[in-house]
Amino acid sequence: MFKVMFKPLLKNRKFLIGFSVFLFFLVLGLFGPIFYRVDPTEMTWNHEKPPSREHPLGTDTYGRDILAQLIHGIRSSLYIGFLSAIISLTIGTFVGTFSAVKRGVVDETLMAITNIVLTTPSILVAILIASYMRVRNVEMVALILGLFQWPWFARAIRAQLMSVMSREYVYLSVMAGYSDLRLIFEDLIPTIATYAFMSFVLFINGGIMGEASLSLIGLGPTQGISLGIMLQWAVLMEAVRRGLWWWFVPPGVSIVAITASLLVISTAMDEVFNPRLREE
Amino acid sequence: MASKQMLRYLFRRFLFLFVTYVVATTVVFLLPRVIPGNPLSQLLSNLSMVAQANPEAIRAAERALMEEFGLGKPWYVQYVEFISKALRGDLGTSITFYPRKVLDLIVPVLPWTLVLLLPATLVAWILGNTLGAQAAYRRNTWVDKGVLTTSLVVSQIPYYWLGMIFIFLFGVRLKLLPTQGAYSQGVIPSLTFSFFVDVLRHYILPFLSIVVSAMGGWAIGMRLMVIYELGSDYVLFSETLGVSDKRIFKYVFRNSLLPQITGLALSLGSILGGALITEIVFNYPGTGYLLFRALTTLDYPMIQGIFVILIASVYLANFLVDFIYAVIDPRIRIGQEA
Repeated sequence: MFKVMFKPLLKNRKFLIGFSVFLFFLVLGLFGPIFYRVDPTEMTWNHEKPPSREHPLGTDTYGRDILAQLIHGIRSSLYIGFLSAIISLTIGTFVGTFSAVKRGVVDETLMAITNIVLTTPSILVAILIASYMRVRNVEMVALILGLFQWPWFARAIRAQLMSVMSREYVYLSVMAGYSDLRLIFEDLIPTIATYAFMSFVLFINGGIMGEASLSLIGLGPTQGISLGIMLQWAVLMEAVRRGLWWWFVPPGVSIVAITASLLVISTAMDEVFNPRLREE
Repeated sequence: MASKQMLRYLFRRFLFLFVTYVVATTVVFLLPRVIPGNPLSQLLSNLSMVAQANPEAIRAAERALMEEFGLGKPWYVQYVEFISKALRGDLGTSITFYPRKVLDLIVPVLPWTLVLLLPATLVAWILGNTLGAQAAYRRNTWVDKGVLTTSLVVSQIPYYWLGMIFIFLFGVRLKLLPTQGAYSQGVIPSLTFSFFVDVLRHYILPFLSIVVSAMGGWAIGMRLMVIYELGSDYVLFSETLGVSDKRIFKYVFRNSLLPQITGLALSLGSILGGALITEIVFNYPGTGYLLFRALTTLDYPMIQGIFVILIASVYLANFLVDFIYAVIDPRIRIGQEA
């Protein structure tokens, strides 16, 4: 089964490019700190130096090494992205499937909540919540972001499952007396697996972008380093107007490269698996 | 023109958005009261710590804060007061700029945000949709591949980071355009031609950073919609009838635009969020900049006030989009269930 699934993907050039770029950043974030053993918080007397042999990406106002910051930043930005994506996916799957299976009042209540959250600007709510927390660790930031990006996913899988529910094999399972849970896990979840994976990828993007936005206005994690925090420091220290490009370009490029590669992966999967997009 | 069904649809949407607004303001009310560590008491003790500096003003601000949040009264009284105030537009008193009213501080900055946000969003939406439709129509040509590849990357650039790049390139390196503010420092806003030119020069970079990075997402979405439409039965039928390609494309374009209008309503919030941060990067004197100042000084009445207004405007814009949708979509116009 896996062979059938992955073979067409591995033939898709878009998928290969996206996957390679993402893998590069993933490896950089996971194993970078092991190979490049420079402390990102260590201050030196080399203030605001452009890239050199000693500091491959230069230094910031306190003489801290930008490359070390970048590697650690990629690591925690990816972590926040994954964590918030898991939270969103879990809530979304739960709400979507229960709406579709239970129907009636449960469906109406869940969909009312979904629509309210969907219409309410999630990044604004995240900013508001974060502003009331004096200490924010990486997990809290992921939670704040993950709590509000699930509605479109819940609605989409609810619609998909509604149509699956009217198929014969589902009727048979219901007649055979399957419990709701067994029905959900054996008959329903498998039909949305590809879509869920593609959405998961987009949720990661949402988390990474959200973290960057929060951090830029000073509401990111209160300790540690992330791509957003690097940008925040650069803005605070006026790096842009003073022309210190090596400071604000790398974190931005990393954010764009990671999120764009994930988007390319998801687009490529859509092209391969979505019959309406397949070319004759 | 406005049918009964259309009015009923609009009324339902209005009711939904109103309920949503009440829920949202309830959340705004609850947050400072349920988050552990009680930020308000924190703020109060901060205030009393610096009270030696200017005891009179600080004590006044402290009283205002107590009154603003109705601390000391039972929670349901606080809640009713908060909601009724929010609905009347009374947003309380700022702490940082005590004793000025929050609303009086927000009103002068709102136009700057609107002037930046509305045109940029619309231009990005129109350009993105046109590009995406053209790409889909020329599927698998170099035009399509170019548009898709560029859009996939560009759509992931945060507005504010593109803003930083533009500031660096056009402001710092090429010295073509000013890098911050909405007009030159020391210039008094007036209705003169030179002031207009000055504002325009300051406007170009933040405007372009939003347009360019927002365009990509619309292009991707529209391309997909048009591809779906091109595969639908009515297109095949029209082709067999010998209807001209140009006319078919017109139909397809119109039909694909409908989901994009819904998409616009749904992404208003994130566009707004991005634009607010872009303002901060450009030191542009809009709502985002005011919010940033309020956040750094923990001016909670101001933060709350800005959010109540921003959330209300997102819902209002949502309703406007619903209205436009109802006028454009014949299914709603003539009252057929969509």
